[in-house]
Amino acid sequence: MISAVGLSKQYGKTKAVDDLSFEVRTGVITGFLGPNGSGKSTTMRMIMGLDRPTAGKAFVNGKKYQELKWPLREVGALLEAKSIHPGRSARSHLVALAQTNSIPKARVEEVLDLVGLSQVASRKAGKFSLGMNQRLGIASALLGDPGVLLFDEPINGLDPEGIRWVRELLQALAKEGRTVFISSHLMSEMALTATDLVVIGRGKLIADTTVENFIDSNTVATVLVRSSDSSRLNEVLAGLGGSITAQDDGSLLVTKIDGTQIGDAALSSGIAIHELSPQQASLEEVFMELTSDSVDFHGTTDAKAAS
Amino acid sequence: MTVTHTQMPSTDHGHAGLAGETRSEWTKFRSVRSTWICLFIILLAGIGLSVLLTFIQAARWSHSSLQERATFDPVAFSQSGHFISQLVVGILGAMIITSEYSTGLIRTTLATVPKRYTVMAAKKIVIAIVILVIGEVTAFASFFAAQIILTAHGGTELPAGASIVTQVKSASIPVVTIMSPGVLQAVVLSGVYLVLLSILALGLGFIIRSTAGAISIYVGILLVLPIILNFFPSGFKNSVEPYMPSNLGIAMVVTTRSTDWAGVLLTPWVAVLVLAIYAAVFLLAGLWFLQRRDA
Repeated sequence: MISAVGLSKQYGKTKAVDDLSFEVRTGVITGFLGPNGSGKSTTMRMIMGLDRPTAGKAFVNGKKYQELKWPLREVGALLEAKSIHPGRSARSHLVALAQTNSIPKARVEEVLDLVGLSQVASRKAGKFSLGMNQRLGIASALLGDPGVLLFDEPINGLDPEGIRWVRELLQALAKEGRTVFISSHLMSEMALTATDLVVIGRGKLIADTTVENFIDSNTVATVLVRSSDSSRLNEVLAGLGGSITAQDDGSLLVTKIDGTQIGDAALSSGIAIHELSPQQASLEEVFMELTSDSVDFHGTTDAKAAS
Repeated sequence: MTVTHTQMPSTDHGHAGLAGETRSEWTKFRSVRSTWICLFIILLAGIGLSVLLTFIQAARWSHSSLQERATFDPVAFSQSGHFISQLVVGILGAMIITSEYSTGLIRTTLATVPKRYTVMAAKKIVIAIVILVIGEVTAFASFFAAQIILTAHGGTELPAGASIVTQVKSASIPVVTIMSPGVLQAVVLSGVYLVLLSILALGLGFIIRSTAGAISIYVGILLVLPIILNFFPSGFKNSVEPYMPSNLGIAMVVTTRSTDWAGVLLTPWVAVLVLAIYAAVFLLAGLWFLQRRDA
């Protein structure tokens, strides 16, 4: 379990992280979402005891990071893909990490195998591709078989197959009862991977909820309708309780009633439908809108507390 | 998907500490090629330069001026490799930490061992032991190589307690054995000098964090500071000069206390103490920054 209480970090006059409080529960993947520069990495570094908070505290398994007896075996982290000496082999890198926390050498070979780097383990990490580096970073995070995992942008630089692999790995790790906290600036990726969401913008908490709840409360189903008589259809649909926006090209954007109702109403009124298409409100757009001017937004209701 | 098969040792007892971190630092140190290149340079340049400079002195002894004869020290000359090795040990000492900052590895290191002084202590242990071993091997090899060259050029051992006057008047270049008075100590301290410098550079690395910055300042302290000192009034210059790190190194390996050195050099053990204090100051300053700054 990870928790932040009033976590803040100030660089000069800039508040990188501003009074952030949230909890990351065990057994599910929690996405940590925010645009680039919103303070995700800083928050993660503060949780890891690397950066000193200006105010507030962060806890892992109820303890401050510095108080963990075997940090690598309680918390695995992928902070930056390139935290590796380019002249050192993947194996030596992992052996050095393992030695700090009395992790057997056999485990090094095991994680190398798990991330698919066994064949290139003796090669210098500097020769690795971005994706291979990312896999090596994931291997170091899993080295101590920790119950808590923090991944900062784990899919960066991975090809589609790699992305799927990471997604499945993370899901498996969560299913095993671990705490999995992953940051991303991609809403679409989080929608696929995460169960819970912590959303921040400009260092402030925007939402601490479930993905489902976040989507429901922030997207509005819209249907685009083209018809033979848009002004009459407008009246008909308004009568059904629809909220309608007439477009310049004569089409209507309808919300609050769905396509089936629109089609049925048009048929009974004798209006020909030329086009009836649900507009997929892009989560990405919602997210961008929500975080672009985050100061004006306040946290949504906490679905986790309610459930 | 199960991700663990290896039986992990219990986490009920103990904690991640100095022993494990020192093993880890040793693994890191020996698993990059630059380490071995640096160690090879220390050994090769150390012995090579000592042999070369001793050979030049031996070959022209009969043409040497009185002053050259008076200041010739068969032990100090055998340790001329310091000119190069003192720079290389500084690079090694600084790089063991600055390379972690430049690659971002420091974050991983501090996450695996959150007690930051443990990280510094482990690095200090590794660099000190490695430089002690390579430093002493180089010092002894250089010493014996130099004495062989001197002997080959007709060098003779001066009688015990011989004065500088005897040395100046001697027709043959002086040779010493390891058992001659003060010689063993000087050769051993030659290696100790390098150890203390590497620790000083390590401290500097923790303060500066950047490889280029740390090495520049290190070179500045060692080589540029004495040059700048020359422009100061002689009274100030003379009182400060013995405390220049490079002069402390000479003080540790000199065995003939010729009048030329009077006032310029401290006695060997005082020199060790002064350099140890410098190294400690840099290391403690580095620790202060390490504990306070964000990684």
